[in-house]
Amino acid sequence: MIEFKDVHASYDAALPILKGVSFAVERGEFVAFVGTNGAGKSTTMRLVNGLLKPDSGQVLVDGVPTTELKTSEFARTVGFLFQNPDRQICCNTVREELLFGFKALGMEGPEADARVDALIEDFGFDPNEDPFLMNRGARQLLALASIVVLAPPVVVLDEPTTGLDYRECVKVMDIVGRMHEGGATVIMVCHDMEVVADYAERCIVMSDGAVVDDGPTFEVLRNRATLERASLVPPQIVDVSLELTRLVPRLAGTAVAKANTVDEMAAAIVAASVGSVDEGGRR
Amino acid sequence: MSAFLEYVPGASPLHRMNPVAKLGAAALFAIACFCTSNLVFLAVLLVVGFALAASCGMVRQTIGLAKAVFAFSLILAIVQILTTPAGAVLVQLPWGYIGTGSLLAALTTVVRLVAAAIPLFLVFYVTKMNDVTNAVVKVLHVPYKYAFTFTSTIHFIPVFMNDMAGIMEAQTARGVEFDAGGIVKKVRLMVPLCVPLLVSSVRKTNSAAIAAEVRGFNLRTAASGYKEYPFAALDVAALAGSVVLVAVAVALGVLL
Repeated sequence: MIEFKDVHASYDAALPILKGVSFAVERGEFVAFVGTNGAGKSTTMRLVNGLLKPDSGQVLVDGVPTTELKTSEFARTVGFLFQNPDRQICCNTVREELLFGFKALGMEGPEADARVDALIEDFGFDPNEDPFLMNRGARQLLALASIVVLAPPVVVLDEPTTGLDYRECVKVMDIVGRMHEGGATVIMVCHDMEVVADYAERCIVMSDGAVVDDGPTFEVLRNRATLERASLVPPQIVDVSLELTRLVPRLAGTAVAKANTVDEMAAAIVAASVGSVDEGGRR
Repeated sequence: MSAFLEYVPGASPLHRMNPVAKLGAAALFAIACFCTSNLVFLAVLLVVGFALAASCGMVRQTIGLAKAVFAFSLILAIVQILTTPAGAVLVQLPWGYIGTGSLLAALTTVVRLVAAAIPLFLVFYVTKMNDVTNAVVKVLHVPYKYAFTFTSTIHFIPVFMNDMAGIMEAQTARGVEFDAGGIVKKVRLMVPLCVPLLVSSVRKTNSAAIAAEVRGFNLRTAASGYKEYPFAALDVAALAGSVVLVAVAVALGVLL
């Protein structure tokens, strides 16, 4: 479990970034942090694995304050995917890159080799390919794979889909989804609200270094006041459902307004549309 | 918070000076440091350097810089102590000895390097990089591509330092312990990180070159900039003062 207790943090004492952030993420949750640039999301992520220590308050990972252990010691528990894969990748071949995490943690051996080989096959990598010659999407996928192979119980993703095309984005997020289904706790910063709606179960909205809303993703995304306060635009399907319930008040109590997944919401919108049109196509 | 060698806005006299005068005075100041081995004079120059830093509110940055230069010059000082036997014998070595003269020479080296570095680095904290480039082109008629290359090199130092910090952070998050073990282990851990740094450097340099090219880099001449860089009384005084410092340093070097 990850717990933030009234955390204040900064890079420069004169410029506080986080101003009293508190929340708890339970084991196995998929939480998305949303907000504009400068809201404090990435700083929050850096606090999770101790890359940044709080100025005051506490960050606890499984009950252990991050101030009590070195960041490298949290690496077994918390896998961190950076926005820029080029900062993570440092080996000459894909296979070496995937083994690097095991070496850093002193976990080399036949089991590590077997896990790397299985992952290479699963992801369809060429084990001898030079990572620096791969395209941006493939490098991001490799950086993610280097975390997946270690199977940490907590995965922190700092804007994992930035700079990726739709196909690459879906591939990356499907892998993240599989990790979550396998029991991993996923904490993700994401600017793509469609991705948030598709994958996250819970959404925490940040603005100006503070948490302004925290709840089930679709409840948060339907809250226009919160979104306006954080200068966010809801995903298109939520926008459609909000507009439909505004135009057709009787839909307010139906699944159109209450659905908690994209699929449920889409089905409800289609059903409502079909229900309002007769066989002759008239409304 | 400013990064290493990154401009810090301000309105101090040093901020307002002509960039060429600042560069010239700083270069003369550094020359003065290397023209004498008089420790007292070098100490005075060091104090002057800190006074200049205080005058533009850069004491914190200057102390940081002085620490970095001190660490580097300490290596030279140690080599000097071990290889320059001079003065009264303090410690006998198999190949010579460490004497009072060796320690004095080492101390002189450290003070000289720190004193020479401060004004040179201070120039970049109080001058926009664009102004350095443009003024050098306008006033000294240095071809733009050379001025741009020089200032780009300086500009990329904090960028690469930031990249390196980011790379080390990413590797720490993967479990690499940079803060454990001796110097050999640290160096061994750092070497692989040079690869991503090199790759990112080449990519950034390439992007910068393309960006400059598409914005008409080769069309630029000394007449292209609209901003003029006239010399004021303060600029002349600074240059004259620096010339005097060089003269005093040479005189001390000859006389003592």
